[in-house]
Amino acid sequence: MPQLDPAVFLPQIFWLFIIFGLIYLFIAYSAAPKITQVLERRQDRIASDLQEAEQLQAQAEEARAAYEKALEEARAKASSTVAAKREAIKADIEAEYNKLSEKLGGEAATAEAKIAKAKNKALDEVRTMAADVCKDIILSVSGLELDEKIVSANVDSKFDAVKGNANG
Amino acid sequence: MASPLAQFEIKTLIPLHVGGYDISFTNSALFMAFTVIAVMVFMTAGMRKGALVPGRWQLSVEMCYEFVANMLHDTAGREARKYFPFVFTLFMFILFANLIGMVPYFGFTFTSHIAVTFAMASFVFIGVTLIGLFKHGFKFFLLFVPKGAPLALMPLLVLIELVSYLSRPISLSVRLFANMVAGHTMLKVFGGFVVALGVLGVVPFAFIVALTGLELLVACLQAYVFAILTCMYLNDALHLH
Repeated sequence: MPQLDPAVFLPQIFWLFIIFGLIYLFIAYSAAPKITQVLERRQDRIASDLQEAEQLQAQAEEARAAYEKALEEARAKASSTVAAKREAIKADIEAEYNKLSEKLGGEAATAEAKIAKAKNKALDEVRTMAADVCKDIILSVSGLELDEKIVSANVDSKFDAVKGNANG
Repeated sequence: MASPLAQFEIKTLIPLHVGGYDISFTNSALFMAFTVIAVMVFMTAGMRKGALVPGRWQLSVEMCYEFVANMLHDTAGREARKYFPFVFTLFMFILFANLIGMVPYFGFTFTSHIAVTFAMASFVFIGVTLIGLFKHGFKFFLLFVPKGAPLALMPLLVLIELVSYLSRPISLSVRLFANMVAGHTMLKVFGGFVVALGVLGVVPFAFIVALTGLELLVACLQAYVFAILTCMYLNDALHLH
């Protein structure tokens, strides 16, 4: 086995230490730091990207909340507006109704008063006529010319009873 | 036909003697240089752009980095972070050495030399022991005292622990060395069969194809094993028990 020949030991070990030393220096001071730097930069970039994404998501969430709030407010405002309008319309209707019914009530009262007046007038005429008729009938039956005042007082008393019945 | 072990021979390319010591530049040193150049090219070219979204090449460099970083963190914890460049270098160096050794005709596998693997394992062993001593002082020797063991058995247990600790560089270096030697020797032996059997040589040839796949796996696996054992030893030194 050539490996066991002591003559090959020293030259190999000597060059091993020199050459290994070189590659060690190269890796320790040039290659490894460069790789570390690249990996760290990537890590930082990933971390910052993730952070940015998180931030954007938070913003989106905020916007959504604001939108929902605005929607809620608009809805509340709309319903309150509707309610207010309804109240106003209701009040208007009530006022119109009251006005109208007042007016109608006034007209009815006027009409009733007219009717009552006409009725009283008619009754008075009927009474006068009844008194005249009574006087004429008594004159033609008994030939007695009665005093107009007595006849009308009698008729009036009967009439008031009838009128009281009619009005009552 | 050449012996299957001929592939492990060291050839001096540039003879060099300093103070009576032979430090010639050999084919082994040449392949160490190739390995280092390959690692440098792999990393420099891969990280050239240092893109935020990595391409295929950059991703493979990053995967190597993260693989070793996670391995070190999971086995030895956060305190071991400052030894990351060393473990990473060790892993990449052995990995590329093993893989370059797999190139047919061209490759020389210097990790199949016990001198190389033992030098690396000893460096790890001595380094880890010194780290432990500096960190814990005299308490470091508590590593050899198993917790909760009966007092009567203590001398024996301490002896066993000590032997197992001292055998670490041997097991670490022999594991890599033996795996590489066995794999490459086997490939060579079956390669000889292909030539010797003529037409029937397709059978050993098919076997070689499968074996090459296995050896590629072993090449990666042994680099991983060497690195993770280094992490475990580091963990022992940093945290004792």
